[in-house]
Amino acid sequence: MKCESWMPLIEQRADGELDERAAWQVDQHLAACRSCAAFLERLRAEQAVYARYERDVEVTPAIWAAVEAKIREEPAQGAVSALARLRQWLSATVGAPRLSPAMAAVLVIIAVGVTLGVISLKNSGPAVPPNGVASNGSESNTPATPPSGPPGVKPPSSNPLDDVTAASKGSGTAGPRGRAGSRASRNPTPAQLVREAEQKYLTAIAILSRDVRHRRSNMDPIVLARFDSALGDIDRVIAETRRAVRQNPGDPIALHYLLAAYSKKVDALREMATD
Amino acid sequence: MTEMTATGVAGRPSGRAGAVMNTSQEVIRRARSGDEEAFRLIFERYSRPIISFIYDMVGRRELAEDLTQETFVRAHRNLGGLRDETKLSTWLFGIAKNVTRESLRSRVREDLKVAIDDDRVRGLSDGGLPPDRELLNRELNGVIRDALQNLDDDKRAVFTLKIFQQRSYEEIAEITGSSIPKLKTDLHRARAEMRRRIEPYLRVNHEV
Repeated sequence: MKCESWMPLIEQRADGELDERAAWQVDQHLAACRSCAAFLERLRAEQAVYARYERDVEVTPAIWAAVEAKIREEPAQGAVSALARLRQWLSATVGAPRLSPAMAAVLVIIAVGVTLGVISLKNSGPAVPPNGVASNGSESNTPATPPSGPPGVKPPSSNPLDDVTAASKGSGTAGPRGRAGSRASRNPTPAQLVREAEQKYLTAIAILSRDVRHRRSNMDPIVLARFDSALGDIDRVIAETRRAVRQNPGDPIALHYLLAAYSKKVDALREMATD
Repeated sequence: MTEMTATGVAGRPSGRAGAVMNTSQEVIRRARSGDEEAFRLIFERYSRPIISFIYDMVGRRELAEDLTQETFVRAHRNLGGLRDETKLSTWLFGIAKNVTRESLRSRVREDLKVAIDDDRVRGLSDGGLPPDRELLNRELNGVIRDALQNLDDDKRAVFTLKIFQQRSYEEIAEITGSSIPKLKTDLHRARAEMRRRIEPYLRVNHEV
């Protein structure tokens, strides 16, 4: 390798950016090559010169005074939620949302359809089988949900939607099933639809998250920070609504909010992935 | 470069790294909740490196002051979006880089092209009497400033962040949005260009 090719490596060595093995190789070369050793010396001399560089600028009290005056003019930080700020930014910068990766879009459409199906089915009343008893023993206050569930319902598991699904699947392990259980094996129950919708949302989120990850390095840090903040808010809502669903597996409002939160996350990710 | 320390923000020494971290995170949390005093501490800690970086990028004092103001106003506005509190300074430099880039875009690029005073450089390389150190340093400052302005924007940002702000390649990649291979190439070329400009001064500095 010519000395010229060693130069970038010597610079990286001086910057402390080489791993142990590469640094050892450079050191070996430097010990054997006077020209490259001289280059390293020159590099150090340059650094010493740059270290003495004085700028014709300093932080004056006037700068802080101006900053202070400007931030006092701005609305309070908490006045607008992070999500609202993101939405504001999205509507200002993205005139019309473009199609995201086709697969994700299809999944979202399906999930939205399923969500609507879930809501209409829940509102129709008689076909709803999940229990209406909250984990604390109190009855759900949702009129569309019957006060008692089918026999053989398993206690809540770590996944709230597992409980909803298991309660209506009619599996052999869950014990004898009534008419609702046998009907569920032919037509999907709301719980199954919710489960399907969640899976589709999660798949869409995974696809879009991957796209956003690839684009992160090219994004404006401010926009990225807002986006991350909004996403954090949405994740908190998802966590809270999942907890609510776990406590009230048959509560259609909790289910609705859970799917709405997933939908919001998909929207936010889609905007970032397609900008 | 280290992130905000207890010494930096509170003006008193602190012995433990954990305490340092807690203090800086606490300051950020307070600033987020609207505590103006906490935000002033952040300003005090970071305004100097930020204004230096901006000045290196734009080469004009008044403009650097204005853009520093803008950087901190934007930082205050978006503080809620800072997810990793241990990366406050990297985040601030990212904002400063964007503010600077917007400003540079809005100006006629040719305004920034400052011709190196060839006679001044030639006089030194011709072996004239070494000027006294103070005068030499003042001239050298001018040469470095002008040489920086002759680098293209990407190279100038990478060079400034590495040489003057002592940032790691990873941090520079985060701030500039460049890939590590690109910034290595930019840095190598920037160093070579700067070397050509300051070489005569480098020799004189050794002699003085």
